[in-house]
Amino acid sequence: MQKKAALLLVLLLLLAAAPGLAQDVTTLTWLTLDWPVDAIIEEFEARNPDIKIEAEQIGFNDLFAQIQVRLGAGSAVPDVIAVDVPLVSGYAFRNWLLPLDPVFTGDEVEDWLPAAVNAGSYEGTLYAAPISTSTQLLFYNKACFDRAGLMPPGADDRLTWEEIAEIAQAMTFDDDGDGTPDVWGFIWEQMVRIYQLQALPESLGGAAIGDDGLEVDGVINSEEWIEAYTYYYNMFNVWNAAPQGEEFWPADIFETGNICMFVGGPWNIPRFANNADLQIEWGVSRHPYFADGEPATPTGSWHIGVNANTENVEAATRFVHFISTGEGAELWWRKGSGDFPAQQSVLALFATEQEFDELPMSYMRTAADEATVNPRPRAVTVGFLEYEQILQNTFQDIRNGADVEESLNLAVQRISSEMAKYR
Amino acid sequence: MRRQQLLPYLFLAPALGLLIVFNLVPTIATLVESTFIMSLRSGHRVFAGFANYERIFNDPIFWKSFQVTVVFSLLVNPIQIALALALALLINQKLPGIGIFRSIYLLPIAVSLNVTAIVWGLMLDQNSGMVNGILTQLGFARQPFLHSVDQALWSIILIASWIGVPLWSLFILAGLQNISPTVLEAAKIDGANAWQSFSKITLPLLRRVLAFVLVADTVANFLMFAPILLLTQGGPRLSTNLIMYETYRRGFIYGDLGASSAMLTVMLLIVFLIIGLELYLLRGAE
Repeated sequence: MQKKAALLLVLLLLLAAAPGLAQDVTTLTWLTLDWPVDAIIEEFEARNPDIKIEAEQIGFNDLFAQIQVRLGAGSAVPDVIAVDVPLVSGYAFRNWLLPLDPVFTGDEVEDWLPAAVNAGSYEGTLYAAPISTSTQLLFYNKACFDRAGLMPPGADDRLTWEEIAEIAQAMTFDDDGDGTPDVWGFIWEQMVRIYQLQALPESLGGAAIGDDGLEVDGVINSEEWIEAYTYYYNMFNVWNAAPQGEEFWPADIFETGNICMFVGGPWNIPRFANNADLQIEWGVSRHPYFADGEPATPTGSWHIGVNANTENVEAATRFVHFISTGEGAELWWRKGSGDFPAQQSVLALFATEQEFDELPMSYMRTAADEATVNPRPRAVTVGFLEYEQILQNTFQDIRNGADVEESLNLAVQRISSEMAKYR
Repeated sequence: MRRQQLLPYLFLAPALGLLIVFNLVPTIATLVESTFIMSLRSGHRVFAGFANYERIFNDPIFWKSFQVTVVFSLLVNPIQIALALALALLINQKLPGIGIFRSIYLLPIAVSLNVTAIVWGLMLDQNSGMVNGILTQLGFARQPFLHSVDQALWSIILIASWIGVPLWSLFILAGLQNISPTVLEAAKIDGANAWQSFSKITLPLLRRVLAFVLVADTVANFLMFAPILLLTQGGPRLSTNLIMYETYRRGFIYGDLGASSAMLTVMLLIVFLIIGLELYLLRGAE
């Protein structure tokens, strides 16, 4: 009897200790861009001691191939991935992402910008929760305008692309006379990416892809596209107002005064505002458009999704829920990527927070408004990855002097080859 | 007796094992994979027979890339082998201090192809590259090199040859040094001039070495990949889209393993054919 009681006691003790024993820490792998992730991870881990997040951070250029190879192979890791929004349908089509509808309440879904919810869904099911969205502004260096004897635009002015071409040429200077300018007039921040360059043909009324989401012939070699990318070609090859060669990140060169204007994202505002060593005086204005067209401003959101093959569904969805809603979303906006929030409750903070009352941070309010003016998301197609990569090659070729029409026709041929497998 | 017969195999075993793991198994896996199509929606592999081959044979991009590879091979191999032979003859001279020259010429081999490609990429840059700096100093116009449809493939040939020429000349040099000087002396006494002794004696005696160099060089260039990945990604306008890179792009960027494996299998067959042909043409009268 005593023996039995002792055994029972031991059992009870074991049971009491069980939660402690059983509460193994689940480690989640989060494949993400090189965003500042420490603050959000720290806060999440503090609230969820049973989960540890390991961020696997890689560059923008490698993220897509990584996801393609790892999720394509059916790997259970990474558990959580950063998803660039045009890829949602491609990933969902391949069943790589876990449907997320049960994770969020109706209120939470309603708080997201409707465009972002749509973009994160495929055939009516939410596959990737929005964590940020974006818009574009023209950034300029005031000294360049002074030097060229021109007046810089105001924050609410919208220059035409034709005006940009003229100003850019007037602000390109070859100081040492070696035939290569030392100060360039203009560049697109993502100089060969469809994200930013799609706004050119769209301002002229062109479309990004055929109605079936696969056809590109007659679309990306249409008159509007040829006209738009002839402008792009001229900027680099005829007017010589923008640098050719390899891709680079213009903000770095803008800060040194060697680029006078660039079209870029609002993430540059806090970057320049918080740079105490910055010597230049800068300003912003609205995204340019073609004189005989209409304003069209690029937009695109970043989302977060759960690998359909993860072994940690509960933990992974808990993290996704945290970062995309409520306090987590606000923290991600304040101390994470610094991109535009996709939650209306967080967006509203721009209007009320004192931080945005004064220049230059008040430019964030300009950006918040610009995000509502004819925002143009990228093409929705299951073959976006191929579409994006091939157009990137194409823009790089045009930028470096290839014939516009020939290059676009080659892109049609290449994209059609790749789209064949989805038909 | 039995043990003696076994012993050589025992020594060969580690190398054979590695060959099996790293060459034979992947080759067979590729052959198998080329007959499957991954259903994009379900993610299941479905046996598809020759459907992948049909797909790539009807694909203009595959043929374009095939064409670039053929042009590249027809240019780079003769250039490399002719230059390697010339370099080998040059550094085979018995002159004082020739050892120093030999070392200098062989230096490029000591640097990996990847590093070489990146450094050449920097030197050939349109705006800030050293080569264009020299050209403009000499009064020439800047050249786009890797960014020009007409110059990119030649730039890749240059980079490949930077390592290829000294590497293959090393093999030819070894062959040259194997030729007994007495044969050449005898020819000289018989009144043969330099060209006659080169074309009638040196070249025939180099046949075996040249056969090896030709086969190895052809295969190496046919499978050229790293400089394309690092420098041009097949561009501009697919002008450097060698088939090995197209294979990589299909498999690892677009996730189309079936088409990628089918391309690899076709390449494998072509490599076998080329090697067979070259060995046949260079067969010695033995």
